[in-house]
Amino acid sequence: MNKMIVLQISALIIVSGSLGGLLVFTDVYQEVHSGIVSVLCLSCLKLEPKTKTDFTFETAYGEPHPDFVLDNLTKGVVFLHYSEDACPGCDIMYPVIQNLFNITFGKEDMVYKVFSFEDLDVAYFYTNIDHTSEEMENSFPIYDKDHISGLPMFAIITLGYNKDIIRPYYTTVYGTLGLDSDKDRISLLTELMQESIDIYNQNREGYNPDQR
Amino acid sequence: MKFQIKRLLSQILIFFSANLGALGFKTGFCYPFFYCNSCPAATSACPLRAIENSVYRGSFKWRLLLFPIVILGFFGVTSGRAVCGWACPIGLLQRGTGKIARKLKKYPLIKKIGNHKIEPYLRYVKYVTLIGLVILTTALIGFMFTDICPVGILTGTIPTLILYPSKFVPNPFFWIAFVIFILFLILIFTVERGWCRYFCPVGAILAPFNKISFLHVSLAPREIFEKECLHCNACLNACPMGIDVINMNRDPECILCGKCINVCPKNLIKFERG
Repeated sequence: MNKMIVLQISALIIVSGSLGGLLVFTDVYQEVHSGIVSVLCLSCLKLEPKTKTDFTFETAYGEPHPDFVLDNLTKGVVFLHYSEDACPGCDIMYPVIQNLFNITFGKEDMVYKVFSFEDLDVAYFYTNIDHTSEEMENSFPIYDKDHISGLPMFAIITLGYNKDIIRPYYTTVYGTLGLDSDKDRISLLTELMQESIDIYNQNREGYNPDQR
Repeated sequence: MKFQIKRLLSQILIFFSANLGALGFKTGFCYPFFYCNSCPAATSACPLRAIENSVYRGSFKWRLLLFPIVILGFFGVTSGRAVCGWACPIGLLQRGTGKIARKLKKYPLIKKIGNHKIEPYLRYVKYVTLIGLVILTTALIGFMFTDICPVGILTGTIPTLILYPSKFVPNPFFWIAFVIFILFLILIFTVERGWCRYFCPVGAILAPFNKISFLHVSLAPREIFEKECLHCNACLNACPMGIDVINMNRDPECILCGKCINVCPKNLIKFERG
């Protein structure tokens, strides 16, 4: 019986100490809160939002567009690609994006590339939301157009004319785009890119990033 | 009987606590039981999701692996699998379906399912599920248990579809998970606590702690027990986990529901601390 009590007390000290240590000395609580509880893995939900490709001027929660987007809009369309660590939906979409833009990247947490698509520069930002900068993390809810808070998420930002001002104009799509094949996914994203480039070309002359 | 009402109240209270996310209360803890963080009202994370996240495709994040294990370990060391019997919302669901499963036992086929000779071995399936589907396939090929989890369908997918009927469409995992969900329903309506007995990976983490937990169910000293036990099998019949109560010693399957304690006419079974 004494052996059992020693074992029980030792086990309790180990688990309590480990739990206390994890909470005090690591950011695991925040990691679980922001990475699992607050942001949905759409694969776990086994659902994804119906794909709505409509463009809008209004950010999801009325917040201003981040500076890195406004600045890159002077060069061309901005494409934001959000992903997370354990996300089969994100894994399905990597090759789609890589084929679409003919780019390659490995296990980087953030990627920024500017390349030409249909004769226009596209600023491509890839970010793993579990390991990213504060600026990129904060941009995630801004472009969560349908208030899903789920991953993977893709935002295409172009320029539109609204109330006498040329302003950022964007659309956001989620998950595997509600489509079954990579071919269909690439086709949908290509159409969206073409549409955003057309709108961009119509409005680029009047864009002033300081006019926010 | 009052004791079982207390247990029911505990289960209901914890069910509502697990869903305080509906009021905007979200934490960074993992549930010490099986509940899905995809539930629109979830307050915390599914422990299995945290474990999967820690080992996904060969990555190793020790903090995310250790965090749910020490949370479950804390409850395990103090009270063994009592969270299965007193807190888990899926346990509460099976408390309801268990009554139907008992009634269906009068049909020979249903009775055979729960009493088949391979039944004791089926209990090891939950350990295989934990190691195989939660850890190994996640680490090696990126296939996660939570993508096909029937509890995820019940507590995440269905409530989301009810709350937002026209907003979502099924993803590539939906139909596989849905078939598993139907099998899950058949299981819990035919075998009392069938999910806890055979498949629950969270139960697999908690079960070994029954061997060392402070709180456990124990029998009266052998000489008293042998002298006074009527061999009425009331405890055996009452046990929702199908444990051979008379011969048990800190059984890993015991969920500390106390039903055997309530029915023993000689009060030879009791909760014990230490």
